[in-house]
Amino acid sequence: MSEVVLKTEKVAKVYMMGKREVRALSDLDLQVNKGEFVAIMGPSGSGKTTLLNVLGCLDKPTAGTVILDGVDVSSMPEREACKIRRDKIGFIFQTFNLLPYLNALENVELPMECTKRPKSERSARARELLKLVGLSGREDHRPQRLSAGEQQRVAIARAMANNPAIILADEPTGNLDTENKYEIVRLLANLNINQGTTVVMVTHDSQAASHTERMLLLRDGKIAKEKLGLHSMKKKLICPYCGNKIQSTDQRCPSCKKRI
Amino acid sequence: MSLGAFTRAIRNISRRKTRALLVIVALSFSLAIMISIPAGVVANQESTQNLTQNYNSTILATEEQINQTTTLIEVSSFSGRGIFSSNFTAPAPGSYNFSGSPGGFGGFGGSLVSRTPSYLGESIVGNISAVAGIEAVVPSLTVSSSDTTQQTISTPRGDFTINRPLYTITGVSLNFSLDDEYPILPTDIVSGTNLNESNTDTGVVLMSVNLTEYYGVGVGGQVTLDGGTFKVVGIYNPSDQGSLETRGVYMSLNDAQNLTGEVGNVSTVDVYAENASLVDNINTQIQTMYSSEIQAGTMSVTTYSDRLANLENEEAVYTETLNSAESTVAQTQSIATQEIIVALVATSLIVLFVMLYTVRERTKEIGTLKAIGFSSWSIMKQFMLEGVILSLAAGLVGIGIGTVGAPLLSGYLLPSVNLFGSRGGGFGGGFAIALSSTRSVSSTSSAAVTPMFMLLALGAAVALGAVGSLYPAWRASRTRPAEAMRYE
Repeated sequence: MSEVVLKTEKVAKVYMMGKREVRALSDLDLQVNKGEFVAIMGPSGSGKTTLLNVLGCLDKPTAGTVILDGVDVSSMPEREACKIRRDKIGFIFQTFNLLPYLNALENVELPMECTKRPKSERSARARELLKLVGLSGREDHRPQRLSAGEQQRVAIARAMANNPAIILADEPTGNLDTENKYEIVRLLANLNINQGTTVVMVTHDSQAASHTERMLLLRDGKIAKEKLGLHSMKKKLICPYCGNKIQSTDQRCPSCKKRI
Repeated sequence: MSLGAFTRAIRNISRRKTRALLVIVALSFSLAIMISIPAGVVANQESTQNLTQNYNSTILATEEQINQTTTLIEVSSFSGRGIFSSNFTAPAPGSYNFSGSPGGFGGFGGSLVSRTPSYLGESIVGNISAVAGIEAVVPSLTVSSSDTTQQTISTPRGDFTINRPLYTITGVSLNFSLDDEYPILPTDIVSGTNLNESNTDTGVVLMSVNLTEYYGVGVGGQVTLDGGTFKVVGIYNPSDQGSLETRGVYMSLNDAQNLTGEVGNVSTVDVYAENASLVDNINTQIQTMYSSEIQAGTMSVTTYSDRLANLENEEAVYTETLNSAESTVAQTQSIATQEIIVALVATSLIVLFVMLYTVRERTKEIGTLKAIGFSSWSIMKQFMLEGVILSLAAGLVGIGIGTVGAPLLSGYLLPSVNLFGSRGGGFGGGFAIALSSTRSVSSTSSAAVTPMFMLLALGAAVALGAVGSLYPAWRASRTRPAEAMRYE
């Protein structure tokens, strides 16, 4: 049995819209194991973002518990929560959210600034991460000089800076064209396989979601359906397109020649 | 405070250059005003202090002089010979170098402007000498030179040029041991010798240092005065630099009479009684002898007690001037306090609004920073740092503006102590030179921003930046991290 990284029990979130009560999440149970690549899908208003906020310690649930890496974070005060976000969670946003006045390297270094790591180490780590997401040589480019896809790669590198227990991605492909969308999902999938990074991705794009390992369908604040994605096959080194054995997910399938 | 936060603050400020520039300009004016005002207040205080000091020392010196001449009865063609002429020199304006006697008391000062209208016939010497109890009668003639010098005077209505007499000629009867017993001639000789009995009619002069410098002559040199040629035998340096003596030329009475065309005339006769108890009696006799002239105003007789009374009157006038200066200073301080409070509030409000706007504009960025693990405190520090850097930059610019513009700014913002009051002409000739009453040198024009004020301004800039950005920074720190997820 693999290690549980994230677990929620009967999580509920109720908003007050004027005098009307809105139940964004109700009695939601969820479990994500270490090294998993999970997609949370659902139509708009199904509570995707609310769930991600609660999972990411950005918001507190009205009821229920959220256990992250063995720690109950559901009723944690803000000064503790920010440390959890810093050390255990990496965020990826739909609009990348890079700081426009910092270059790629500085953006990646940013989460490490709150830690006690020395500057040289932070810088080395940021370079290494930029290399990992394929942006070597672009370290001193500011966001406006990078394409949307490249910006999201920087954001992914930033999310991994403090080596978090889990990466939470909110519609990471939402602002990208088809080509870049696929590249980003592939990048996340490769990081998942090669680095063992646990990724939870919220999306309403079924195509993007299909490349994950497990898809959870959210409806009315609950998980309504669960099914396996193509990534589960890749992990077993089986080509999801032709079903033949493959050597690595970094190469094309030797049989059907499709890009994995 | 990590270097990263500082770099980010600088980059953020420079990202919106126009805004930063506008804010810095607005703040710097506020800060410039803030340092100009205390500079103006200090200038006003110093001016008043100088006024008081000058006043006190002049009164003391005059009193001493009067006390030394208890036996002197002064008979003069002036309507009351000036008993002290002092120059209440303004402490700062370098351009103001009017070494004559603006504001000098008494009619004597008037001789600078126009020739004395009437003289006394020399026969008066013999007449008065006949009165019993008199030890000496020393006639002298004081006339303004026909040589003039041009002087430009700045007024609020523009500059104008006047011709001033260049010096004052005093002819003294040299038949007495003047140095020791009768203080008619200057005593402070710096080179050469004083005039003495052997100089009765020899074409020699005793000159003030200022004049010898003006003419470029030394002891033994020749100088042309009002068309006559004289040899300088001695140079004196009057201890009272404000007095008429700074432009004085002394010669024998005969020389002066010949030079000025006033042969047979004198302007003043100093009568010395054998002792002080005789003064009243002699005074009465002279008054009786010349009652018609005295009534006509062409002659005046003053004694020790008259001069003392005059001094008291003058003291009263000065005291009034001083009181008004002091009340101006007091007023200045309360106005300054109010204005500084306004400037302080304005500065922190500017910082407050700009930073509030910045925080609102950057909600998503703040949310992102919080989402990736920045604590509320580090966000707060970040924004306070930005506010402080902005106002610190403004502080530096403000010091520049303040240093250059302090006299102008404090002049606009503060009442100024009038160094040469317009109250002249009140008492017995009052401030004799008409010009002195129209000229008012504003004390705030000497407002100077000292290094101490600069340090204070920098301190104020940092403090106001911190105070003004406190609330916006707090607002920023309270931003919900979920704001990072807003995609509008």
